[in-house]
Amino acid sequence: VFKGFYEILEAMGMASMSSNGESLKLCVFDLRRGQNEGQELDKILFFYPPDVTFSTQLSVIGLSEGLITFTRLFSPEAACEVIEAERHSHVFHEAEPDIWMVMVVEKNKEIEAIWRVDALQKVLKEVHSLFVMFHGSVRSLLDKEPSGGLIRSHLYPFITDYLNDLSVGKKLQLPSFRETLKERGTVQMLTLARDAALEVQSLVGVLDSCAGTLRCHSVILFHDLLVSTTLSPDDTVDLFTFSVMRLTSNALSSGTSSWSYLRKGSSLSQTSSRSTSPQLLGSSDSLPSGNGNDAGRVIRPLQHNKWSKGKDGFLVTDIWGKDATPTIWLQQREERVHLLAYQHKCLTLVLLVPTEAIVNGELDISFVKHQVTENASAKILKVEEKLSKGWGGENAYHVSGYRYLLVDNDMEVSRASPSGKVATLAKETLLAVNKLRETVDTEKSRTKEEKDMEICIRAKNNAWAIARVTRGKELYMALEKASDTLLDATDSVQSFSNR
Amino acid sequence: MSSRPSSSQTSVGSGALSHAYIQHPSLRCNVPESRGLFYDDANRLLICVTSSQVFSWETATFNPDVSPSVDSIPEGPILSIRCSLGKKVIAVQRSDCEIQFFHRETKQTLTHKCKAGSESILGFFWSDSPLCDLAVVKTSGMDLFACDSAMNLRLVETKKVNVNWYIYTHESRLVLLASGLQCKTITGFQLSTAGVVRLPKFEMTLATTESNSKPIISPGDVHLITVYGRIYCLQVDMEAMLLHTYRFYRDAVVQQGSLPIYSSKLSVSVVDNLLLVHQIDAKVVIIYDLFVDSRAPVSAPLPLLWRGYQGSDTSSQQENEGTESSTSSENIVMYEDAWTFLVPDLILDQTNKAISASSSDRSSLLEFLQRRKLEANKAKQLCLGIARTLILERRPATQVTQAIDVLVTAYSYSVKAGIYKELKNEKTTATTPTNDGASPDNERGRASGSSIDEEEEVEMNLPSGSADEQQESQLSSPAISPDELYKFVFASVEEAMVEESDYLVAIITEFLRSISAEKLKVDLNIYVMTVRLLAHSKRFAELSLFTTNKIIEPSKEVALQLLESGGQNLRVRKLGLDMLRQLSLHHEYISSLVQDGYYLEALRYAQKRKVTSVRSSLFLEAAFASNDMQHLAAILRVLSELIPGFKETSEYYTFHGLLNETSSSVAV
Repeated sequence: VFKGFYEILEAMGMASMSSNGESLKLCVFDLRRGQNEGQELDKILFFYPPDVTFSTQLSVIGLSEGLITFTRLFSPEAACEVIEAERHSHVFHEAEPDIWMVMVVEKNKEIEAIWRVDALQKVLKEVHSLFVMFHGSVRSLLDKEPSGGLIRSHLYPFITDYLNDLSVGKKLQLPSFRETLKERGTVQMLTLARDAALEVQSLVGVLDSCAGTLRCHSVILFHDLLVSTTLSPDDTVDLFTFSVMRLTSNALSSGTSSWSYLRKGSSLSQTSSRSTSPQLLGSSDSLPSGNGNDAGRVIRPLQHNKWSKGKDGFLVTDIWGKDATPTIWLQQREERVHLLAYQHKCLTLVLLVPTEAIVNGELDISFVKHQVTENASAKILKVEEKLSKGWGGENAYHVSGYRYLLVDNDMEVSRASPSGKVATLAKETLLAVNKLRETVDTEKSRTKEEKDMEICIRAKNNAWAIARVTRGKELYMALEKASDTLLDATDSVQSFSNR
Repeated sequence: MSSRPSSSQTSVGSGALSHAYIQHPSLRCNVPESRGLFYDDANRLLICVTSSQVFSWETATFNPDVSPSVDSIPEGPILSIRCSLGKKVIAVQRSDCEIQFFHRETKQTLTHKCKAGSESILGFFWSDSPLCDLAVVKTSGMDLFACDSAMNLRLVETKKVNVNWYIYTHESRLVLLASGLQCKTITGFQLSTAGVVRLPKFEMTLATTESNSKPIISPGDVHLITVYGRIYCLQVDMEAMLLHTYRFYRDAVVQQGSLPIYSSKLSVSVVDNLLLVHQIDAKVVIIYDLFVDSRAPVSAPLPLLWRGYQGSDTSSQQENEGTESSTSSENIVMYEDAWTFLVPDLILDQTNKAISASSSDRSSLLEFLQRRKLEANKAKQLCLGIARTLILERRPATQVTQAIDVLVTAYSYSVKAGIYKELKNEKTTATTPTNDGASPDNERGRASGSSIDEEEEVEMNLPSGSADEQQESQLSSPAISPDELYKFVFASVEEAMVEESDYLVAIITEFLRSISAEKLKVDLNIYVMTVRLLAHSKRFAELSLFTTNKIIEPSKEVALQLLESGGQNLRVRKLGLDMLRQLSLHHEYISSLVQDGYYLEALRYAQKRKVTSVRSSLFLEAAFASNDMQHLAAILRVLSELIPGFKETSEYYTFHGLLNETSSSVAV
């Protein structure tokens, strides 16, 4: 039904997209705004690419809105998640009540452009929760300034910076079937031996009390893996994602030396200079070029190449202003905290200091820093040493003979075969796994309660793609031994699950 | 003659605070016509002589009422007197060239003389070295003799040294021979069971002043002490007002620093490996612990007190005596001129309590207490009390961590050294210590007040010489096992700290880290407690980390606690279930699954693992309650296969009947 509906619209030219070569459109809009004729532009909070005309923007948003309203008739609680048309997929995500994010991706003939809707939705979810972590909810910014200028001036650079991470060359690369054995929005953990875990926990204990009586939260990473967290799973995922994007030793080194990064940087300046809708992105002219006046200044937390390691081991940035410490918002605890990052070799510590503990601004911050160096440096050295000793390298979690993804939805944790190993799989196998995952996604969204299932698919190349879902844990696996029977395959899964 | 009168009043008395006490009552030796009092440190005998008789008291097992053994010897002057190590022979130095030996059983007599005129005898002592039994120190050197049971002396070896004076203690088996004009050149020999070792010659430090450009060291200025099995020499340098310490190694003598002197007369004692420096003029005693590098005293200087006297409570030790004379005066005068301090075995004992009041650094205090062997019990209780107080007072975690490290390391060490023994029926471990008496403020209050309970607890252990292994092993150690720490510290503060569980968890983590580093185990209830605390403060993310990283060691008890705490949080409950499954506790796992409504999964698991111990009605009732007749039918079928003879049970009939009634369409 929807498909037909959409095709009519497309035929009417209302959904005229893909005309200017952009294969992706991403928009954020507020259903509560612009409901009167002539004020439609009000509802648009963000649109990518920024250089399309308002009429195009309005047609995409209008169509999405129509679809939402329509599907709400049948399912008021959860309106549409995806609309598949002949040439496009519309992926919906209601980030906050009546704040919608819609991604429109072009279906082209290229085989690479095969994705899983759930994975695309996860991109929307990720960018939104990162946004909330730094700026607070979209609604709260709208409430602060009902004209919408504030939220637009924040969303534009934020999402653009985020999308730049996805760009390869001039093209945005969305998570395709090749990433089917990965799960965005989860944390990857380092497995610790007990003695190392105790050392880590001991360090966490010291960090806890670095700001006096108010407890500091902390997240510790080693390379790009999580070692410890005192935050709720949701907050951990956000902070982990951000750290891996910008803070870890890998992120820092790729930021300064990698060639691909330079390309990313240049594409950013292009997109901002191409901006042709100044009314909509009113503040884009005043995007900070380093230091501006703090009052009207929009902070770009995801700005590239802005973090570096200071002499004292703490990571510094001028994103928040000269000598200003970033603050973030913890969702679960509903509190704003200062973010301090400390790095020793591949060990990255993110310390979250409650704002109430920081009364005298940077003076108190430097006191906390002092406390960390004073009380924790010995432990940091020890932990780093222990973890390095036990570090199995990139392929530590490779299980030979298997290509797998294990997701624990309760803890929002996943573990997968190293991407280098996954890359050895045949395209057919990956497509089969992708298909399988889609099936499980559909099955999961159909019933909200936890469900047990086990599905095996034989791919065209005789590989097995297996999914096993038990009590909040999902295991996906690809086995490429063509001679294996279904029985062999299930046995392998069994022996794997028992590990 | 008495080393101390028993019941007179003095200025030193009630209410005064002290670290060191003299045991009361002390040994009295009222021997008429006494000519002198000697102490034989090798045999721990107090010897009193008259013109023809020798009275000797055993002091090793201290009992003030013990009666002396009496031996008769021919009349004559007695310069010194010592029994052989088997106590068979009494040796008496009659003059500077004659020593007489009397066999106590055979009454045999032997006289040993040196070359008159060219040399004179300074003294002698018995030795248990394999080489010789007797050493005679003369101005020309030291003669070593072997002595057989028939009292034949055979010269084994002569060490040629010019000697002005010498000192020897049996405890250290070390003899120091002083030579030179200022008597500051020291030659040392150790006559140990391993043989005779010559120590490198060394010079003592002496400051010079204008008034005294060539001060001379007298034997009274030098003390040999043994603490923690190490031998030190203490030397008074009156000009500099310093007490120099030297430590003896097998092949070196190393000066270790100096302690200040506040008195023109000074003596030292060692109690329980602590150095007590008596500043005689000032009538105070200062306690030092040479184990730590710091030369700071352990406590503030306080007077020496009589123990058991006028309400000064606490523990105690041992006799002292004055060599010459010793008054029978009615007044107790501390540090009488006549007092002699005998090095190894002293008068005093410190009270742990007063020290705990005056030491501010808790972890070094704990370290200190852990090294105490005397009254190990009391030290142990104090340690537990201090640890509890540290936590209850919410001291910074680093401080508590340090304290815990000290206790755990001490325990680990004492286990390795074989000192620590699991004390079963010991009363102190059987009862939970109360919290009062733990806080230093209380201590201070109580130290001056009297406490009869405390007196009863007093143990009469003697400080053991380091050489005396057997005696040492009889002492209970103040070491605290992890289980005891859990029971008397963590478990006992849990209730009071429940609102500060973050803090307590941090401390427990440190404790676990500490015992893990020492490869020790602890009562698994501590893990149950940790789960409880983390769940209480809703730190579920960390609870999960603790569990997956096995900081919380898996056990049935922990799993059940996870299930219980998981009442508030499904994720936590799942952790518990996973743990049950990993521990192969099939029965509990299946029951919990059914309880959560996952009866199909439970049954599937039961079928796979062939578990039949779970009541079949559990599954059936769960399925029936969920009103899913298909499930009920499936369960009936699986149970019929799983449990032999199930079809004949009344249960089967009941549910089969129910099934048929409700829905005829489902076939079983």
